[in-house]
Amino acid sequence: MGGSAVSAAPGPRPRGPRLARLLTRALLPIAVAAAILVVLPPLWFGDSPYTTGLAVEALVFGCYAVGFNLIFGSTNQLFLCVGALAGVGGYSTAILSDKASLPLAAGVALGTVSAAIVGGLLAWIAVRRSLNVIFTGIVTLVFSLAFTNFIIGQRDLTGADTGYVLQGAATDLADDRVGGYYLFVVVLVVLLIVFRALQLSHVGWAFRALRDDEVAAELAGVDVARYRIYAAVVGSAMIGLTGGLYAYSLGFISPVTYGFAQVDVQVLIIVAFGGMGTLLGPVIGAAAFGFLDRALTDSGQLREAYYGAFVIAIFLFLRRGVVPAAVGLFDRLASLRRGAQRVDGAPGRAER
Amino acid sequence: MKAVILDGIVLGLGFGLLGVGLTLVYGLGGVLNLAYGEIAVFGAIVVSQVMDRGAPTLVAAGVGMLAAAALSVLLDLTLMRPVYRQTGEERTLLGLLLTLGVAFVIVGLLNWKYPTGALYIFVGGDPISIAGVPMAAGSVWASLITLGVAGVLLVFFGLTTFGRGVRSVIQDETGARLVGISPSLVRTLIFALSGGLAGLVAVTRSMSAPLTVTAGFDLTTFALIVAVVGGLGSVAGAFLAGVLLGIVDNVSAHYIGEYITAIVLLAAAAITILVRPRGLLGR
Repeated sequence: MGGSAVSAAPGPRPRGPRLARLLTRALLPIAVAAAILVVLPPLWFGDSPYTTGLAVEALVFGCYAVGFNLIFGSTNQLFLCVGALAGVGGYSTAILSDKASLPLAAGVALGTVSAAIVGGLLAWIAVRRSLNVIFTGIVTLVFSLAFTNFIIGQRDLTGADTGYVLQGAATDLADDRVGGYYLFVVVLVVLLIVFRALQLSHVGWAFRALRDDEVAAELAGVDVARYRIYAAVVGSAMIGLTGGLYAYSLGFISPVTYGFAQVDVQVLIIVAFGGMGTLLGPVIGAAAFGFLDRALTDSGQLREAYYGAFVIAIFLFLRRGVVPAAVGLFDRLASLRRGAQRVDGAPGRAER
Repeated sequence: MKAVILDGIVLGLGFGLLGVGLTLVYGLGGVLNLAYGEIAVFGAIVVSQVMDRGAPTLVAAGVGMLAAAALSVLLDLTLMRPVYRQTGEERTLLGLLLTLGVAFVIVGLLNWKYPTGALYIFVGGDPISIAGVPMAAGSVWASLITLGVAGVLLVFFGLTTFGRGVRSVIQDETGARLVGISPSLVRTLIFALSGGLAGLVAVTRSMSAPLTVTAGFDLTTFALIVAVVGGLGSVAGAFLAGVLLGIVDNVSAHYIGEYITAIVLLAAAAITILVRPRGLLGR
């Protein structure tokens, strides 16, 4: 396949077309992913509510994963509280719009802001105490468990284990799975564009610098603490927004909806599988796990065991994730073609 | 009040033993073994199966501990090999993800084969009075066993040559290799010890309440929190943290209420980590 058109020498050109080309290149992967997601329901599963439900779930996990990817993949903060942050968004949205009778949009907005504040606080604590990856992980894990217990303890407000039915929930959204699907396609695309914009701005440079070598980044004048908190706030807002909208599309939430074992474990695997810090890694990871979920539907009790075996297999053989592996393979093929003077040994840093 | 604190200590000793198994493996291999709770559950199911076939409890407990140790060694010799080839955060993360996968496999298989599996070892006898407080015989025996094992472990790591060898590997792998200690052999032995401890925890916990197939996740979480609060790599620290958290847990459960207790416990753990990131007795 002739990739030569894209990699033509960048001669002096007028500014307009160059900007357009830059924008196209920046957004092309997102556009392709969006196009595929949009045509999937009519082509494949639109008439099966069950499969559409699974697809919605995969999209939601994709959205969570984009947020987690910003926090962990870009700035190395192991936030094991994705479920809890989504729960902050979800429960705030539900309670504010039901009990304080705010309009839906206001509820979602406030839920998003609360999640962002909580995420920012956690990052601030981690930065202030200069916790390393493992300790950030443990503190946020502790926060997750405390959050679940808090939700269970506040029976009057949250319905505890039995769950909470959103009265104001748009029943049409809960019934019409395809509508929910498109809602989350839009959310995912918006989150990806935000991620891409950050990646290409000076923030992205700072993220890459501090991820490669924190001390060197600090010495080069990157304010590591500030960018960490920044990533946590934006990423947590993404997670909170998704959690709030998910509550609405389900019409029912319980501690399990946002449980550690149900959300965090899967999100971590999705991001690691897709490729840490890559743009499309979370989408590819979420899709792969959607397929896996569907394939394992009939295996009953053994489902978890298969799931575990799959996790072990991918991390033994695809340590850096699918996207970096694919980019590496592509680079290698390209350099073979060019006469192969050298095979680049570190293709994993590619920003796609 | 005295009874509440005593109960807390009993609970905490169990926590502590759980933390030791995890902390040792982390100190040596740099691997946070997320399958640890599942290994304990595996041991418990083996014990209950052996007991069902008519074996005496002590024999069954021994078989269960050996089985858990064997499973742990198997993990070390197979899946953990590629992990050891990594360094730093790559190693931690890969170890975390692989053991997570292992946890899923174990819990999935156990749920499939023994969906209602549980271990409960009944210890007969009248309540034993300690400092004027009557305690259930099962709890007292469990605590005595735990204390005994804790003592042996502390003496082992503090005084014996092999124990010091293990600590040297924790401190400096290259240095240990230079003085003729094989890190991989030590690692395998510690995995065996860690697995055996998991089996022992399963047995002692089941002496006061049934241990079910689904208990693995909670066991892993508790082990993780205790190990971190005590200081990763520190045996005495894990016990200290276990006992302190056990007392906090029981006192708050008694005077404040159940759900808030979990939050108090977790907050206590979080505050310890934040005030002293190296843990109570960490280096």
